[in-house]
Amino acid sequence: MTAVAAPRREGYVGGLLARAPKRPVSPERIAAALTLIVLVGLGIASLVQSGFSLAGVLSSWGNAQRFMTRVGALTFPAPLDLLWLIALTVGLVLVGTLVAAALSVPIAYLAASNTTPGPVWRGIARFIGVLTRSIPDVVLAMAFVLMFSLGTLPGILAIGIHSIGMISKMFADAIEQIDEGPRLAIRAAGGTKLQQFTAGVLPQVLPSWVATVLHRNDINLRGSVVLGYVGVAGLGLEMSYAFKALNYGRGLGIALVIFVLCVVMEIVSSAVRGAMLGETAQTRSWIDRILHPRLRRGAATASGTAAATKPAWAASPATAVRRPWTRERRRNAIAGWVAVAIVIGSLIVCQIQWGDLITVWAKIPETAAKFWPPDFGNYDTAVMLGAMRDTIAIALAATVLTLLPSLLLGSFAARNVAPNGTVRGIARFLLVGIRGIPELILAIVLIVVTGLGPTAGIVALAIGGIGLLGKLVADSFEEVDRGPERALRAVGATRMQTYAAATVPQGTRALIGHSFYMLDTNIRAATILGIVGGGGVGYYLLNAGQGSRYEVVTAIVLMILATVLVVEGLAMWMRRVFR
Amino acid sequence: MSTPASSEPVIHLAGVTKQFGATTALKGADLEVARGEIVVLLGLSGSGKSTLLRHLDGLETPTSGTVEVLGSSVPALKGKALRSLRSRVGFIFQQFELVPSLTVLENVLTGSLSSVRGPRLGLWGYSKDAKLRALGHLERVGLLDRAYQRSDTLSGGQQQRVAIARALMQRPEILLADEPVASLDPESSDQVMALIREIAADQGLTVVCSLHQVDLAISWADRIVGLRHGEVVLNTSTNGLSKAEVMEIYGRVATTTADLTAVTTELIEQGIATPAAPSGARS
Repeated sequence: MTAVAAPRREGYVGGLLARAPKRPVSPERIAAALTLIVLVGLGIASLVQSGFSLAGVLSSWGNAQRFMTRVGALTFPAPLDLLWLIALTVGLVLVGTLVAAALSVPIAYLAASNTTPGPVWRGIARFIGVLTRSIPDVVLAMAFVLMFSLGTLPGILAIGIHSIGMISKMFADAIEQIDEGPRLAIRAAGGTKLQQFTAGVLPQVLPSWVATVLHRNDINLRGSVVLGYVGVAGLGLEMSYAFKALNYGRGLGIALVIFVLCVVMEIVSSAVRGAMLGETAQTRSWIDRILHPRLRRGAATASGTAAATKPAWAASPATAVRRPWTRERRRNAIAGWVAVAIVIGSLIVCQIQWGDLITVWAKIPETAAKFWPPDFGNYDTAVMLGAMRDTIAIALAATVLTLLPSLLLGSFAARNVAPNGTVRGIARFLLVGIRGIPELILAIVLIVVTGLGPTAGIVALAIGGIGLLGKLVADSFEEVDRGPERALRAVGATRMQTYAAATVPQGTRALIGHSFYMLDTNIRAATILGIVGGGGVGYYLLNAGQGSRYEVVTAIVLMILATVLVVEGLAMWMRRVFR
Repeated sequence: MSTPASSEPVIHLAGVTKQFGATTALKGADLEVARGEIVVLLGLSGSGKSTLLRHLDGLETPTSGTVEVLGSSVPALKGKALRSLRSRVGFIFQQFELVPSLTVLENVLTGSLSSVRGPRLGLWGYSKDAKLRALGHLERVGLLDRAYQRSDTLSGGQQQRVAIARALMQRPEILLADEPVASLDPESSDQVMALIREIAADQGLTVVCSLHQVDLAISWADRIVGLRHGEVVLNTSTNGLSKAEVMEIYGRVATTTADLTAVTTELIEQGIATPAAPSGARS
């Protein structure tokens, strides 16, 4: 049968090749692909140029050991002082994040396509979002330290304003994803716009809003370290004092405390998020159960099965008007009161000088005048551009270095790729652990250990990036359509073949998007790294701030802004082309 | 075509046309509904039933024609006047449209929002009086014991009953229902339809309900208005309908032969039609 078929097929294929349509090649796609290649090439080039090598990093481990013996034992502040510092840091970050959340509600309302009163309002709201996101919180803190008598307000406001960008964006996304039905029902019943929002929209978005705020709170806690370098009270300030006094044992001790604090916070908030969103993750491994403990939905099912016998309180409306204390209600009430207590506790710890909020308005014009017009001052423009280039090089190198490990770890953490629950659980656990490490702490430790220079920064950003990019990769692989995977498995493809032919192609677009997001995040982070001694433009930023040359600060911020906007534009273009 | 004796029209539509871009959803529709009347809009999906109902609550504005409800011209109303008209008109949706994460009681209470100023967050925001009234309505629809459960833990039929209680919270004069049982199983849909009928009789409500089941409409409504492609093709009282008239309704409203044979078989079983009648429809 094959003997007969073979010649025919050859002829057929020969003709087919001639007849088949040529694959269309759009110039835009080629350009985009080339840009990608160039970017990756640049990343590798900057890795090489920075003198990065695995051997080098490993050999510096020897340095580290020698350094450690010289430093001696880690020391910590007295237990009570330490507790106070921890409470102050956590409280300040929490209050700042809540300020941002409160301010984000009206902005999200104006920015969401289904609630906005008009395109002009929408444009204004989005502009505020982009603006607040683009100004680094360190710069905001510098400005606020100038305007307020020292205290926690500069830190709170810096975090509060900088976080509006991300929080309002995610709030608005949540509003756009609601089911419009309940809102329509309240409109049909004669409700006002505000009532439609509070009764029809708010209850639907609340779980996702709380999750967003918790997520941002983690980010802010990690970022709070650097605020200490510009004079915001808390663990960060204490650490910067220690390092300035060359008290490495104390500095590294505080760094360890911050690290542990961040990991604990990450685990707590992911547990709360899981409970709030009613995560339906299959709890297959014990690690999963630790990371995503679900509160039992016992109350709902219990009352569902007990439908036959009416509870005593439901005898008449008069007896039912007092809500019965079911287990569910008790649980919610306790959770609510704990949350209120934490917020009040944070406010007390922060010792906010409310009077400053009134007197500050008079100082705004004066402060603004210091920051304007932008000017490089006595720095050479070429030097500044070179510093910016260094920062971009650090970010690119770190991103390239992150890609492969994140792809590996992210794949193993995806439910549809991981060979079994244990592997997936370990991968997820590693990702959470890595994400909990504040990059800055890592960078500071590396800088202290290996000396100043870009290598420390690149390694710190690359490691931190694995936590973020790995999680994003895992999530987007889990979101792919399972149909093609099943189809390939049905044809007899191996696990690896299925992964390469069905999972990865479907996830590629998201992968490119996430990588650019990573680059964006890394450029911002690389700037901050300079502040703690990692090279690049951040060094000049801190110098200018400490030398009260605020017009230079503005010039540098504008330079960073321009870079970030270019990257964002590139990312949008890539997402469009590789659709 | 007969109108009840107490013929004070609460709904008056004349020559209503509604266009969505190139498609015409309503073509010169006329409709008059007297106080206390129970009217069913009959037609297949896409025949304009929903659009007509939405005009009555000011959720759509007509391209041309007059829409008068409870003595006021709906398209001319704005802001507070429109909200106050809407509060006098209850609306029941096919998909219930309850807020899933709120309790049943809170959902019912949202029906009273038009009678209070400003937003309300949680149960604390409502007066005890309002709560008692809401619980009373829940008792009426047989769901008092579910008052403090999340609404998304209820079955479809139960959710629709909650939606009815929510509409009653408005103290409505007119109840509009858009395919209220299209997403329900037969047993729940019988319950819900019976409940609407009982409540309407108790409180003297005017009801306009859209359906696509001819048999249900004939047994349930005082009057049937048939719509096809946005036009009113039928307007008849169900009182003392002759066999021939029933067949005519099917002929006008049902458009597929499968529909026709299925329902005629049912009619034959119920003894309303004789086996000889549908011979023409089989082809």
